[in-house]
Amino acid sequence: MKEILIQLVTAFLGALGFALLFGLHRRHLVFASLGGMITWGIYLFVHSFLKSSFLANLIASVFAVSLAEALAHWRKCPATLFVVPSIIPLVPGSSLYYAMSYAVQNELDTARAYGHQTLIAALAIAAGISFVTACRELHAARR
Amino acid sequence: MEELTRTEKTELMNCLLDMGQLLLECGAEISRVEDTLSRMARAYGCVHTEVFVITSIISLSVEFPGEDVLTETRRIYSSSGTDFTRLENLNRISRSCCKKPFPVEELRKRLQQVASEEKSFKTVLLGSILAAGGFAVFFGGTLWDGLAASVFAIGVYLLQRKLGETQITPAGMNLLISLLAGLSVGFVCIAVPALHMDKILIGDIMLLIPGLAITNAVRNMLGGNTISGLVRLTESLIWAAALAGGFMTAILIVDLLL
Repeated sequence: MKEILIQLVTAFLGALGFALLFGLHRRHLVFASLGGMITWGIYLFVHSFLKSSFLANLIASVFAVSLAEALAHWRKCPATLFVVPSIIPLVPGSSLYYAMSYAVQNELDTARAYGHQTLIAALAIAAGISFVTACRELHAARR
Repeated sequence: MEELTRTEKTELMNCLLDMGQLLLECGAEISRVEDTLSRMARAYGCVHTEVFVITSIISLSVEFPGEDVLTETRRIYSSSGTDFTRLENLNRISRSCCKKPFPVEELRKRLQQVASEEKSFKTVLLGSILAAGGFAVFFGGTLWDGLAASVFAIGVYLLQRKLGETQITPAGMNLLISLLAGLSVGFVCIAVPALHMDKILIGDIMLLIPGLAITNAVRNMLGGNTISGLVRLTESLIWAAALAGGFMTAILIVDLLL
């Protein structure tokens, strides 16, 4: 439980950090960082039920982009502003690092496992984004 | 709206290209740039507009009623420096311009205004510190690892700024920064065994990973701009490879010393 709390708080801080790094305006900061935190919460929730990192990443990124679109609509600004901070906790930085690290230490099987994990996460995020984009386009076409 | 004079038309063309360049450089998707330019051209009375944008070039043709087609291209060199406030301001200009086009002079003034406002040094520094520290702990580091990652993030950011002023390519920059960061984190971790080298490095890697570029590449491709998406994706993968090369060399050197 404590671990989950720490992860949620640091996901908030990390998303806030990136929002600042990319020069997001002050009035959007809280929402963008909350987006990152909630996205990670959804990832953890789905992962605890389905035990699949692909599905957890997919569902969390679908949520992140939908939330970003909704926030952008509400605050009348481009969705990119919220997509990036919301999705950043899903970026598989850690498994990428371990894949590289084991590769140079010549432990190729472990490296491959981490490499797989990285690729799966990246694919799931891309699939999530494309799903929401497709839905939005369908909606726009019907109007 | 009144008919534009010849000079105003040329100036409008310049303004539109500036708009496109500013948008592209601050991190807008390709489809947004194309969409904005053609909408604005239409608002100023062009009967026909063709816009083609990829990451390195903007090509714009406009046709005013009863006149020849004006065509200009603009080569875009740097694509770094994402700035969401600027993106938002540009978006606002284009929105109000499409609703009710203001005189070309006014448009020029507003664009200059936006171009003159830069992200503040302090904000970006604070962002680097928070992001690196936050993600070091997020991925399982201790509080001390987070603090160490934050301190190194300051170095990473200062290096990025210094190197950004030179002619170095993004790949070379990533290679150099990650090598230096890896070595210095490694040495500090040898001196202070309580710190975890992997967690600190992961925190700092998050700053250098072209995460936004890759996300944008995917979104560009899904939006039908396959060429730009591919260019950006290839670029990002090369940066990521440079990043990996730098860190891995550093890890190997530190391992040899242990």
